[in-house]
Amino acid sequence: MNSIVNGMVNGRPVPPSRVRGRVLAAVALLLLAGLTAWSAAGIGVTLEVFLNASRIGRLVEESFPPAWNFWPRLVKPLLETVQIAILGTLFGGIAALPLAVLAARTVSPSRPLYWLSRNVMNVLRTMPDLFWAMLFASAVGFGPFAGSLALTVFTVAVVSKLTSESAESIDLKLTEAVRASGGNWLETVWFSVLPQVLPQYVSYVLYAFELNVRASTVLGLVGAGGIGMVLNTQRTTFQYARVTMIVLFIFAVVLAIEQLSAAARRRLV
Amino acid sequence: MTARALGRRRGAMSGTAWIGIAVAALAAWSFSGLDVSGSRLVALPAMLARMFGQFFPPDVEYGRASVVPAILESIQIAWFGTLVGAVLSLPLGLAAAGNLFPRASRAIKPVLAAIRAVPEILLAIYFVPVVGLGAFAGTLAIGLHSVGTLAKLTADVVESMDERPVEAVSASGGGSASVLRFAVLPQVLPEIVALWLFRFEINVRASAVLGVVGAGGIGGVLLNTLRYRAFPEAGAVVVLTVVVVLAIDAVSGALRERLVRE
Repeated sequence: MNSIVNGMVNGRPVPPSRVRGRVLAAVALLLLAGLTAWSAAGIGVTLEVFLNASRIGRLVEESFPPAWNFWPRLVKPLLETVQIAILGTLFGGIAALPLAVLAARTVSPSRPLYWLSRNVMNVLRTMPDLFWAMLFASAVGFGPFAGSLALTVFTVAVVSKLTSESAESIDLKLTEAVRASGGNWLETVWFSVLPQVLPQYVSYVLYAFELNVRASTVLGLVGAGGIGMVLNTQRTTFQYARVTMIVLFIFAVVLAIEQLSAAARRRLV
Repeated sequence: MTARALGRRRGAMSGTAWIGIAVAALAAWSFSGLDVSGSRLVALPAMLARMFGQFFPPDVEYGRASVVPAILESIQIAWFGTLVGAVLSLPLGLAAAGNLFPRASRAIKPVLAAIRAVPEILLAIYFVPVVGLGAFAGTLAIGLHSVGTLAKLTADVVESMDERPVEAVSASGGGSASVLRFAVLPQVLPEIVALWLFRFEINVRASAVLGVVGAGGIGGVLLNTLRYRAFPEAGAVVVLTVVVVLAIDAVSGALRERLVRE
């Protein structure tokens, strides 16, 4: 729409900084459009499939009504799912605390330790939960043990990052007071840092628990235990009425636990 | 503030004890239900060291020929899915803002919550039979889930904006279109675009796992290499994924910082 010629936009002179801004904006837009075109071509985006009503119709027919009578076989896997989430949150929550303290700039005892823990945190956060699940399932074998380990790492990644940010914004006067009265590093952490970050830390752990309940429902897709194992069997054998039943079950439990956890967090903060 | 926090902590001691007991009971229940045991935990470090040891050195040739294209496909899925989510969520999010459209807000918000409650990978399980195996199914799953999250966050941003410009525009006779164009969008758009970028970072991780159900990208490659215990190949997947995600996070994070600061 806007033609930029010799520092003139639409024939009107504009200050050079604005010209540069517009050129930059145009380049950025072109880049984004290029990225989008590249993605669309790579994916093979097409609207044709939506016109293929028969396929959609068949899926709906196969998925509804849900296989209500399938529920007795879902109770135990669903409890297992919740158990995986609890253990992952517990292990991960405990492991996250020391890492968070080391990775908080204002509290960390030494530069190299700060740098190291910060990078460990960043690398842990790059990997999605199901990647950890695949790796652990491959290392220790299929089952919920692999799932709890995956969620442990995932929890460490989430909670340590958030808690270290909270630890960086605490009131340092208390820390100084402990140090001035002869406290060593561990004592300053114990008496000034932990009491100040504790409420936030607990609310982060609860938040991680919500994420973990969600994540634990699909861990079974890669053999890491829980209701996802049942889901995978039904999915690969195209029992979509059962798949829908499982999804509804997951849906109900995720929402219920989220409500509980959110209520607990509200009481905390 | 700190003194108050400390005081509250002391007062809540009995409550803390109850929470401790509840957590211990839940932990015990979970331990007993799963195949977790002390001996397995003791053996764990050695098992992990053995597997990760075999990841190195990663298979460079496999990385170049098979891993890089699959990672690029995951990025394409994340990018296009985020774009679909962004485009659809903007009008929905504005309509879901309680301070602008109270009635529409009450109707839309539960729908958004329902969409958000279904993980992408479950959505992908339904899209695969409709559009076939591959990246397109994954893109639709990412797109739909992103609509749920982005529209909600957009509504949050709009609900916490400065209301005075809205009053100014309507006081000088502007209709709701003018209010949106001159009072709402100018102040919320930078923050919303920052949300889109953040969602893109999340979607890169989400799209990386969709291959597990055949919806394209790197996840299927990792699943297969691990299934056949091809560890140097799996090592290539892990190393390249970490590097690419770190790079995307860095670029997107820098852009977000600029957007919100300006």
